[in-house]
Amino acid sequence: MKLENEEALDHLIICHKCHTLHQEIAIEDGAKACCKKCKTVLYRYDSRLAEHGLALSIAALIFFVMANFFPLVKIEILGHEQFITIPKTFLSLFDNGFYIVGIICAFMIFIFPLMIVLLNIAIFSLLKLKKGKRVSKDLLILLSRLSPWSMTEIFLVSILVALVKLIGYAQIHMGVAFWTLMVFVVIDLYLTRTIHISEIWMLRKRVFLKKDQA
Amino acid sequence: MIEVKEEDLLRCPVCEAVNINKGKKNICRRCGSSIYKHRHFQTEKSWAFLITAMIAYIPANLYPMLITKQFGSTSGSTILGGVMLLWEHGSYPIAVIIFFASIVIPILKFIILLYLLISVKYPLGKDKRVNKHKLYYLTEIVGPWSMIDVFVVAILAALIHLANIEIIAGTAATAFALSVFFTLLAAHTFDIRLIRENR
Repeated sequence: MKLENEEALDHLIICHKCHTLHQEIAIEDGAKACCKKCKTVLYRYDSRLAEHGLALSIAALIFFVMANFFPLVKIEILGHEQFITIPKTFLSLFDNGFYIVGIICAFMIFIFPLMIVLLNIAIFSLLKLKKGKRVSKDLLILLSRLSPWSMTEIFLVSILVALVKLIGYAQIHMGVAFWTLMVFVVIDLYLTRTIHISEIWMLRKRVFLKKDQA
Repeated sequence: MIEVKEEDLLRCPVCEAVNINKGKKNICRRCGSSIYKHRHFQTEKSWAFLITAMIAYIPANLYPMLITKQFGSTSGSTILGGVMLLWEHGSYPIAVIIFFASIVIPILKFIILLYLLISVKYPLGKDKRVNKHKLYYLTEIVGPWSMIDVFVVAILAALIHLANIEIIAGTAATAFALSVFFTLLAAHTFDIRLIRENR
Protein backbone atom coordinates (compact mmCIF):
# COMPACT_ATOMS: atom_id res chain seq x y z
CA MET A 1 0.00 0.00 0.00
CA LYS A 2 1.43 3.35 -1.05
CA LEU A 3 0.70 6.70 0.52
CA GLU A 4 1.67 10.24 -0.47
CA ASN A 5 2.44 11.39 3.05
CA GLU A 6 1.09 11.08 6.60
CA GLU A 7 -1.81 13.40 5.78
CA ALA A 8 -3.17 10.82 3.36
CA LEU A 9 -3.89 8.59 6.36
CA ASP A 10 -6.90 10.80 7.02
CA HIS A 11 -8.60 9.20 4.04
CA LEU A 12 -8.39 5.81 5.68
CA ILE A 13 -10.75 4.61 8.36
CA ILE A 14 -10.67 1.53 10.59
CA CYS A 15 -14.00 0.04 11.67
CA HIS A 16 -14.66 0.53 15.35
CA LYS A 17 -16.24 -2.87 15.74
CA CYS A 18 -14.22 -5.34 13.67
CA HIS A 19 -11.05 -3.39 12.76
CA THR A 20 -11.36 -3.72 8.98
CA LEU A 21 -9.50 -1.09 7.00
CA HIS A 22 -11.53 1.13 4.68
CA GLN A 23 -10.83 3.88 2.22
CA GLU A 24 -12.94 6.93 2.84
CA ILE A 25 -15.08 8.08 -0.07
CA ALA A 26 -17.12 11.21 -0.62
CA ILE A 27 -20.80 10.63 0.11
CA GLU A 28 -23.94 12.70 -0.31
CA ASP A 29 -25.11 15.14 2.33
CA GLY A 30 -27.05 13.23 4.98
CA ALA A 31 -25.87 9.82 3.80
CA LYS A 32 -23.87 7.33 5.82
CA ALA A 33 -21.07 4.91 5.01
CA CYS A 34 -21.11 1.41 6.49
CA CYS A 35 -18.46 -1.20 7.10
CA LYS A 36 -18.57 -3.80 4.33
CA LYS A 37 -17.85 -6.62 6.74
CA CYS A 38 -20.02 -5.97 9.79
CA LYS A 39 -22.37 -3.20 8.55
CA THR A 40 -21.48 -0.81 11.38
CA VAL A 41 -21.84 2.85 10.47
CA LEU A 42 -18.37 4.21 9.80
CA TYR A 43 -19.16 7.87 9.23
CA ARG A 44 -21.89 10.20 8.04
CA TYR A 45 -21.61 13.36 6.08
CA ASP A 46 -23.51 16.37 7.34
CA SER A 47 -22.66 19.74 5.83
CA ARG A 48 -24.19 21.54 8.81
CA LEU A 49 -22.70 19.32 11.52
CA ALA A 50 -21.57 22.18 13.78
CA GLU A 51 -25.02 23.80 13.74
CA HIS A 52 -26.85 20.53 14.38
CA GLY A 53 -24.44 19.55 17.13
CA LEU A 54 -24.69 22.92 18.81
CA ALA A 55 -28.49 22.93 18.71
CA LEU A 56 -28.72 19.43 20.13
CA SER A 57 -26.20 20.03 22.89
CA ILE A 58 -27.90 23.25 24.02
CA ALA A 59 -31.22 21.38 24.12
CA ALA A 60 -29.51 18.64 26.11
CA LEU A 61 -28.17 21.19 28.62
CA ILE A 62 -31.62 22.68 29.16
CA PHE A 63 -33.16 19.28 29.80
CA PHE A 64 -30.26 18.24 32.02
CA VAL A 65 -30.64 21.31 34.25
CA MET A 66 -34.39 20.70 34.50
CA ALA A 67 -33.83 17.03 35.32
CA ASN A 68 -31.64 18.01 38.25
CA PHE A 69 -33.87 20.63 39.81
CA PHE A 70 -37.28 18.98 39.72
CA PRO A 71 -38.34 15.90 41.70
CA LEU A 72 -37.64 12.64 39.91
CA VAL A 73 -40.24 10.42 41.56
CA LYS A 74 -42.58 10.86 44.48
CA ILE A 75 -43.85 7.99 46.57
CA GLU A 76 -46.48 7.66 49.23
CA ILE A 77 -46.11 5.03 51.94
CA LEU A 78 -48.52 4.84 54.86
CA GLY A 79 -49.45 8.47 54.44
CA HIS A 80 -45.86 9.67 54.25
CA GLU A 81 -44.70 11.43 51.14
CA GLN A 82 -41.16 11.28 49.92
CA PHE A 83 -39.51 12.53 46.75
CA ILE A 84 -36.02 12.38 45.28
CA THR A 85 -34.05 14.47 42.86
CA ILE A 86 -30.95 13.28 41.00
CA PRO A 87 -28.46 15.07 43.31
CA LYS A 88 -30.34 13.71 46.30
CA THR A 89 -29.73 10.10 45.25
CA PHE A 90 -25.98 10.35 45.58
CA LEU A 91 -26.00 12.90 48.41
CA SER A 92 -28.00 10.50 50.57
CA LEU A 93 -25.27 7.91 50.03
CA PHE A 94 -22.81 10.41 51.50
CA ASP A 95 -25.13 10.93 54.47
CA ASN A 96 -25.11 7.21 55.17
CA GLY A 97 -21.34 7.03 55.00
CA PHE A 98 -21.03 5.33 51.61
CA TYR A 99 -18.44 7.73 50.29
CA ILE A 100 -16.93 5.52 47.59
CA VAL A 101 -20.26 4.54 46.01
CA GLY A 102 -21.40 8.15 46.44
CA ILE A 103 -18.41 9.51 44.57
CA ILE A 104 -18.69 6.92 41.80
CA CYS A 105 -22.41 7.62 41.37
CA ALA A 106 -21.93 11.40 41.52
CA PHE A 107 -19.36 11.26 38.74
CA MET A 108 -21.26 8.84 36.53
CA ILE A 109 -24.72 10.38 36.69
CA PHE A 110 -24.00 14.04 37.36
CA ILE A 111 -20.47 15.40 36.85
CA PHE A 112 -19.48 13.53 33.68
CA PRO A 113 -22.80 14.01 31.83
CA LEU A 114 -22.74 17.73 32.66
CA MET A 115 -19.12 18.05 31.55
CA ILE A 116 -19.83 16.20 28.31
CA VAL A 117 -22.74 18.48 27.45
CA LEU A 118 -20.68 21.59 28.23
CA LEU A 119 -17.74 20.22 26.23
CA ASN A 120 -20.03 19.56 23.26
CA ILE A 121 -21.37 23.11 23.40
CA ALA A 122 -17.84 24.54 23.64
CA ILE A 123 -16.46 22.41 20.80
CA PHE A 124 -19.31 23.03 18.38
CA SER A 125 -19.40 26.76 19.03
CA LEU A 126 -15.61 27.00 18.56
CA LEU A 127 -15.92 25.17 15.25
CA LYS A 128 -18.86 27.34 14.22
CA LEU A 129 -16.91 30.50 15.01
CA LYS A 130 -13.77 29.01 13.41
CA LYS A 131 -11.66 29.85 16.45
CA GLY A 132 -9.45 28.09 18.97
CA LYS A 133 -7.40 25.58 16.99
CA ARG A 134 -5.44 24.43 20.05
CA VAL A 135 -8.30 24.58 22.55
CA SER A 136 -10.69 22.59 20.37
CA LYS A 137 -8.09 19.86 20.10
CA ASP A 138 -7.68 19.60 23.88
CA LEU A 139 -11.43 19.68 24.42
CA LEU A 140 -11.96 16.89 21.87
CA ILE A 141 -9.36 14.71 23.59
CA LEU A 142 -11.03 15.33 26.95
CA LEU A 143 -14.43 14.53 25.45
CA SER A 144 -13.37 11.15 24.14
CA ARG A 145 -11.71 10.31 27.46
CA LEU A 146 -14.87 11.14 29.41
CA SER A 147 -17.61 9.76 27.19
CA PRO A 148 -17.36 6.08 28.24
CA TRP A 149 -17.95 7.11 31.86
CA SER A 150 -21.29 8.84 31.47
CA MET A 151 -24.13 6.55 32.50
CA THR A 152 -27.37 8.51 32.48
CA GLU A 153 -29.14 5.95 30.27
CA ILE A 154 -28.27 3.21 32.74
CA PHE A 155 -29.51 5.39 35.59
CA LEU A 156 -32.82 5.85 33.76
CA VAL A 157 -33.30 2.08 33.51
CA SER A 158 -32.32 1.77 37.19
CA ILE A 159 -35.12 4.17 38.16
CA LEU A 160 -37.62 1.92 36.41
CA VAL A 161 -36.21 -1.19 38.07
CA ALA A 162 -36.31 0.46 41.49
CA LEU A 163 -39.90 1.55 40.97
CA VAL A 164 -41.03 -1.91 39.89
CA LYS A 165 -39.54 -3.21 43.14
CA LEU A 166 -41.70 -0.73 45.05
CA ILE A 167 -44.98 -1.56 43.30
CA GLY A 168 -47.35 -2.90 45.89
CA TYR A 169 -45.65 -1.17 48.78
CA ALA A 170 -46.14 2.42 47.80
CA GLN A 171 -48.00 4.75 45.50
CA ILE A 172 -45.69 6.10 42.84
CA HIS A 173 -45.93 9.43 41.05
CA MET A 174 -43.50 10.26 38.26
CA GLY A 175 -42.03 13.73 38.57
CA VAL A 176 -41.16 16.28 35.90
CA ALA A 177 -37.48 15.39 36.13
CA PHE A 178 -38.17 11.81 35.06
CA TRP A 179 -39.55 12.91 31.71
CA THR A 180 -36.87 15.56 31.17
CA LEU A 181 -34.20 12.99 32.03
CA MET A 182 -35.72 10.70 29.44
CA VAL A 183 -35.53 13.43 26.78
CA PHE A 184 -31.97 14.21 27.87
CA VAL A 185 -30.98 10.55 27.50
CA VAL A 186 -32.48 10.38 24.01
CA ILE A 187 -30.62 13.53 22.90
CA ASP A 188 -27.43 12.35 24.58
CA LEU A 189 -27.63 8.94 22.89
CA TYR A 190 -28.26 10.62 19.54
CA LEU A 191 -25.27 12.91 20.06
CA THR A 192 -22.83 10.23 21.19
CA ARG A 193 -23.96 7.47 18.86
CA THR A 194 -24.65 9.28 15.59
CA ILE A 195 -22.18 12.15 15.72
CA HIS A 196 -19.06 10.08 15.83
CA ILE A 197 -15.99 11.62 17.45
CA SER A 198 -13.98 11.13 14.25
CA GLU A 199 -16.54 13.20 12.31
CA ILE A 200 -15.91 16.14 14.64
CA TRP A 201 -12.17 15.73 14.07
CA MET A 202 -12.75 15.72 10.31
CA LEU A 203 -14.92 18.81 10.61
CA ARG A 204 -12.21 20.52 12.67
CA LYS A 205 -9.65 19.70 10.01
CA ARG A 206 -11.86 21.12 7.23
CA VAL A 207 -12.66 24.26 9.21
CA PHE A 208 -9.07 25.16 10.04
CA LEU A 209 -7.72 24.09 6.64
CA LYS A 210 -10.13 26.53 4.98
CA LYS A 211 -9.21 29.24 7.45
CA ASP A 212 -5.48 28.74 6.89
CA GLN A 213 -5.91 28.92 3.13
CA ALA A 214 -7.98 32.07 3.29
CA MET B 1 5.83 8.42 -1.15
CA ILE B 2 5.82 6.07 1.79
CA GLU B 3 5.24 2.38 1.63
CA VAL B 4 3.16 0.82 4.42
CA LYS B 5 1.77 -2.59 5.03
CA GLU B 6 -1.90 -2.76 5.89
CA GLU B 7 -1.15 -4.52 9.19
CA ASP B 8 0.97 -1.56 10.27
CA LEU B 9 -1.98 0.78 10.41
CA LEU B 10 -3.37 1.53 13.87
CA ARG B 11 -6.44 3.31 15.10
CA CYS B 12 -5.92 5.87 17.86
CA PRO B 13 -8.11 4.88 20.84
CA VAL B 14 -8.82 8.51 21.69
CA CYS B 15 -9.54 10.32 18.42
CA GLU B 16 -9.80 7.34 16.04
CA ALA B 17 -7.32 8.71 13.52
CA VAL B 18 -5.43 6.14 11.46
CA ASN B 19 -1.72 6.01 12.29
CA ILE B 20 1.31 4.09 11.09
CA ASN B 21 2.82 1.70 13.60
CA LYS B 22 6.40 2.81 14.15
CA GLY B 23 7.45 0.26 16.72
CA LYS B 24 7.72 0.62 20.45
CA LYS B 25 6.16 3.97 21.04
CA ASN B 26 3.61 5.74 18.88
CA ILE B 27 2.20 9.19 19.33
CA CYS B 28 -1.03 9.92 17.52
CA ARG B 29 -0.39 12.46 14.78
CA ARG B 30 -3.76 14.16 15.38
CA CYS B 31 -4.33 14.30 19.12
CA GLY B 32 -0.89 13.51 20.51
CA SER B 33 -1.95 10.73 22.87
CA SER B 34 0.30 7.71 23.03
CA ILE B 35 -1.30 4.81 21.23
CA TYR B 36 0.97 1.98 21.96
CA LYS B 37 3.40 1.86 24.78
CA HIS B 38 5.66 -0.99 25.57
CA ARG B 39 3.69 -4.20 25.51
CA HIS B 40 4.56 -5.55 28.96
CA PHE B 41 3.61 -2.35 30.70
CA GLN B 42 0.17 -2.19 29.10
CA THR B 43 -0.94 -5.70 29.95
CA GLU B 44 0.36 -5.45 33.49
CA LYS B 45 -1.76 -2.41 34.21
CA SER B 46 -4.80 -4.13 32.78
CA TRP B 47 -4.05 -7.32 34.74
CA ALA B 48 -3.77 -5.33 37.96
CA PHE B 49 -7.16 -3.67 37.44
CA LEU B 50 -8.81 -6.93 36.43
CA ILE B 51 -7.50 -8.81 39.48
CA THR B 52 -8.63 -5.99 41.78
CA ALA B 53 -12.07 -6.15 40.20
CA MET B 54 -12.27 -9.91 40.66
CA ILE B 55 -11.25 -9.65 44.30
CA ALA B 56 -13.85 -6.94 44.92
CA TYR B 57 -16.49 -9.11 43.28
CA ILE B 58 -16.22 -11.74 46.05
CA PRO B 59 -17.40 -9.57 48.98
CA ALA B 60 -19.94 -8.03 46.62
CA ASN B 61 -21.68 -11.39 46.51
CA LEU B 62 -21.21 -12.40 50.14
CA TYR B 63 -22.29 -9.24 51.97
CA PRO B 64 -25.81 -7.80 51.84
CA MET B 65 -26.51 -5.32 49.07
CA LEU B 66 -29.66 -3.89 50.61
CA ILE B 67 -30.56 -3.65 54.29
CA THR B 68 -34.24 -3.20 55.09
CA LYS B 69 -35.21 -1.92 58.50
CA GLN B 70 -38.89 -2.54 59.04
CA PHE B 71 -40.56 -1.79 62.39
CA GLY B 72 -37.41 -2.48 64.33
CA SER B 73 -36.39 -5.67 62.55
CA THR B 74 -33.41 -5.60 60.22
CA SER B 75 -32.95 -7.89 57.24
CA GLY B 76 -30.33 -7.81 54.55
CA SER B 77 -30.34 -9.40 51.11
CA THR B 78 -27.38 -10.27 48.92
CA ILE B 79 -27.40 -9.83 45.14
CA LEU B 80 -28.42 -13.43 44.47
CA GLY B 81 -30.89 -13.35 47.38
CA GLY B 82 -32.50 -10.24 45.94
CA VAL B 83 -32.84 -11.87 42.53
CA MET B 84 -34.44 -14.98 44.06
CA LEU B 85 -36.80 -12.86 46.14
CA LEU B 86 -37.92 -10.97 43.05
CA TRP B 87 -38.42 -14.25 41.19
CA GLU B 88 -40.59 -15.63 44.01
CA HIS B 89 -42.67 -12.47 44.03
CA GLY B 90 -43.35 -12.98 40.35
CA SER B 91 -41.53 -9.98 38.89
CA TYR B 92 -39.71 -12.17 36.38
CA PRO B 93 -38.50 -9.44 33.95
CA ILE B 94 -36.88 -7.44 36.76
CA ALA B 95 -35.34 -10.57 38.24
CA VAL B 96 -33.85 -11.42 34.85
CA ILE B 97 -32.53 -7.86 34.33
CA ILE B 98 -30.85 -7.79 37.74
CA PHE B 99 -29.52 -11.31 37.26
CA PHE B 100 -27.96 -10.37 33.93
CA ALA B 101 -26.67 -6.98 35.06
CA SER B 102 -25.05 -8.03 38.30
CA ILE B 103 -24.12 -11.67 37.78
CA VAL B 104 -23.91 -12.66 34.11
CA ILE B 105 -22.34 -9.46 32.71
CA PRO B 106 -19.55 -9.08 35.31
CA ILE B 107 -18.55 -12.74 35.08
CA LEU B 108 -18.73 -12.68 31.28
CA LYS B 109 -16.53 -9.58 31.28
CA PHE B 110 -14.01 -11.24 33.58
CA ILE B 111 -13.84 -14.27 31.29
CA ILE B 112 -13.53 -12.23 28.08
CA LEU B 113 -10.85 -9.94 29.52
CA LEU B 114 -8.94 -12.91 30.94
CA TYR B 115 -9.10 -14.63 27.58
CA LEU B 116 -7.95 -11.49 25.74
CA LEU B 117 -5.14 -10.80 28.20
CA ILE B 118 -3.89 -14.37 28.07
CA SER B 119 -4.14 -14.46 24.28
CA VAL B 120 -1.83 -11.45 24.03
CA LYS B 121 1.05 -13.43 25.48
CA TYR B 122 0.19 -16.94 24.41
CA PRO B 123 -1.02 -18.02 20.98
CA LEU B 124 -4.67 -18.55 21.85
CA GLY B 125 -7.41 -18.38 19.26
CA LYS B 126 -5.04 -17.94 16.34
CA ASP B 127 -7.34 -19.92 14.10
CA LYS B 128 -9.61 -16.83 14.01
CA ARG B 129 -12.76 -18.71 14.94
CA VAL B 130 -13.55 -15.83 17.28
CA ASN B 131 -13.14 -12.23 16.27
CA LYS B 132 -11.34 -10.78 19.28
CA HIS B 133 -12.15 -7.25 18.24
CA LYS B 134 -15.83 -8.08 18.38
CA LEU B 135 -15.37 -9.61 21.84
CA TYR B 136 -13.65 -6.46 23.04
CA TYR B 137 -16.38 -4.32 21.50
CA LEU B 138 -18.96 -6.42 23.35
CA THR B 139 -17.31 -5.78 26.72
CA GLU B 140 -17.16 -2.07 25.91
CA ILE B 141 -20.86 -1.86 25.11
CA VAL B 142 -22.27 -4.20 27.73
CA GLY B 143 -19.87 -3.43 30.59
CA PRO B 144 -21.39 -0.25 32.08
CA TRP B 145 -24.82 -1.89 32.38
CA SER B 146 -23.71 -3.81 35.44
CA MET B 147 -23.96 -0.52 37.34
CA ILE B 148 -27.76 -0.94 37.34
CA ASP B 149 -27.84 -2.66 40.72
CA VAL B 150 -25.74 0.02 42.41
CA PHE B 151 -27.98 2.77 41.03
CA VAL B 152 -31.11 0.89 42.12
CA VAL B 153 -29.73 0.63 45.65
CA ALA B 154 -28.85 4.34 45.64
CA ILE B 155 -32.37 5.27 44.49
CA LEU B 156 -34.11 3.01 46.99
CA ALA B 157 -31.90 4.21 49.83
CA ALA B 158 -32.59 7.84 48.98
CA LEU B 159 -36.30 7.28 48.49
CA ILE B 160 -37.19 5.19 51.48
CA HIS B 161 -36.16 6.49 54.82
CA LEU B 162 -39.26 6.90 56.93
CA ALA B 163 -39.70 6.49 60.65
CA ASN B 164 -40.80 2.86 60.40
CA ILE B 165 -39.37 1.64 57.15
CA GLU B 166 -35.86 2.38 56.03
CA ILE B 167 -33.64 0.99 53.31
CA ILE B 168 -29.91 1.48 53.49
CA ALA B 169 -27.15 0.34 51.20
CA GLY B 170 -25.04 -2.60 52.35
CA THR B 171 -21.33 -3.30 52.26
CA ALA B 172 -21.75 -5.15 49.00
CA ALA B 173 -22.75 -1.91 47.24
CA THR B 174 -19.28 -0.46 47.80
CA ALA B 175 -17.56 -3.68 46.77
CA PHE B 176 -19.74 -4.05 43.69
CA ALA B 177 -19.32 -0.45 42.57
CA LEU B 178 -15.55 -0.81 42.94
CA SER B 179 -15.59 -4.08 41.05
CA VAL B 180 -17.47 -2.54 38.11
CA PHE B 181 -15.24 0.53 38.19
CA PHE B 182 -12.08 -1.57 38.02
CA THR B 183 -13.37 -3.82 35.23
CA LEU B 184 -14.16 -0.70 33.22
CA LEU B 185 -10.66 0.61 33.90
CA ALA B 186 -9.13 -2.74 32.94
CA ALA B 187 -11.05 -2.71 29.67
CA HIS B 188 -10.02 0.86 28.89
CA THR B 189 -6.34 0.36 29.65
CA PHE B 190 -6.29 -2.78 27.57
CA ASP B 191 -4.72 -1.79 24.30
CA ILE B 192 -6.73 -3.17 21.39
CA ARG B 193 -3.70 -3.04 19.20
CA LEU B 194 -2.26 -5.87 21.25
CA ILE B 195 -4.88 -8.13 19.72
CA ARG B 196 -3.82 -6.96 16.31
CA GLU B 197 -0.16 -7.59 16.92
CA ASN B 198 -0.67 -11.10 18.15
CA ARG B 199 -2.98 -12.25 15.37
